[in-house]
Amino acid sequence: MKNIELIDKYFENTLTPKEQLLFNDLLHTDKDFKSEFVFQKDLKKVISITQTENLKSMLQGFEKNLSNNSKVFFLPKKWLIAASIILLIGFGFWFINNSYFPSNEKLYARNFEPYRNIIQPVVRGKNINSIEYKAFAAYENKNYHKAINLYNSVDNTDADYIQFYKAMCYLSLDKTNEAINLLLPVATSNNQSDKNFNEMANWYLGLAYLKNEENKKALSQFCLIANHPTNTFKQKEAKEIIEFIK
Amino acid sequence: MKNENTKNILELIRKGDKATLHKIYIDNRDIFINFSKKYGVNSYDAEDIYQDAILVLQKNVVMGKVTNLNSSISTYLFAIGKYKIFQSFRENSKIEYSDDIEISEKSFDYDVNLYPDNLTKQQRLLKISINKLGERCKEILTLFYYQGYTLDEITEILNYSDKKVLKSQKSRCVKQLKEITVS
Repeated sequence: MKNIELIDKYFENTLTPKEQLLFNDLLHTDKDFKSEFVFQKDLKKVISITQTENLKSMLQGFEKNLSNNSKVFFLPKKWLIAASIILLIGFGFWFINNSYFPSNEKLYARNFEPYRNIIQPVVRGKNINSIEYKAFAAYENKNYHKAINLYNSVDNTDADYIQFYKAMCYLSLDKTNEAINLLLPVATSNNQSDKNFNEMANWYLGLAYLKNEENKKALSQFCLIANHPTNTFKQKEAKEIIEFIK
Repeated sequence: MKNENTKNILELIRKGDKATLHKIYIDNRDIFINFSKKYGVNSYDAEDIYQDAILVLQKNVVMGKVTNLNSSISTYLFAIGKYKIFQSFRENSKIEYSDDIEISEKSFDYDVNLYPDNLTKQQRLLKISINKLGERCKEILTLFYYQGYTLDEITEILNYSDKKVLKSQKSRCVKQLKEITVS
């Protein structure tokens, strides 16, 4: 096609005034020239749009990278609020769960404390060399391993009260099964002396079963305490535990 | 020195240089988003308007309507951005715009419309066809029709031995494009 260079020059903005006149004339008279020009003008427009679209998605990419990098540190306010509500609910649930539905472990921990020494009051300065005295001294000092050894060495090692305090040592050391074995005979003993440990043994036996997750046995122990006509030792606590595990 | 610097930046913008645009984008983004908030524009719209403001800047640099800047690029971006915010208000007719805005619109002597009116069927077909061209053809056509380089300049940029070689290459590209579009 003749004069096609004029179209290039039009896009380059390099048409001389004379060429511009010729260009205008050709647009009116030469159909092919006109359609070639229209095509290239469309081409310019379409390339421009395509480029803008490409650049736009590039800029959107910058934005996306930005928000990806910073979203950990700049959470939207409503997310933070939502997160704190969830935390509050979670904490509340945990609190309620612990207060109203405590685990056996929790119930045990809340109720267990080694029975106080009512046999050999340890008096400072009083130097009694008997093994029994030393055993109770170790017991009061929470030196349970030593206490067990000493209880094993006393003359009346089968006495209910010795067995009972030994069981206290095992419970304190989390040796529940040993404690249960010691407590069972004490709980059913017919000993009528002032050293009768029946009711205490029943209570600690209940706690030991509780810790061992033997709820049926524990329940029967606590019921025994709660419904006892004369003994009042730990009756209130037993009733409370029954409410949780029955 | 400062002018030289701005000219270099404008040249990089004209080429659509990714690193340059990224730097401009990051440098001005937060100030612009906060500025938009004062006009009650949500951050999603503000990002969109901000991106368009950069595109308008780029387009005007490419079209040769901006060859040098008296003010900084930031000031320029804000001027476009502010105009774009008011334009979006007008389109959504959410608020009555004041005379103040009329003035700011008149002060623009360059093109702020990124997306031209609907394309004809022929133009839509053409848009699809361009993607089917080889990379070399796309490059030549973009340099010539979009970035506005002359054939002499492109000969140099693309290392052609002779302007005639480039010219015939460009003709072949256009011809090929026509064939793809028709078929």
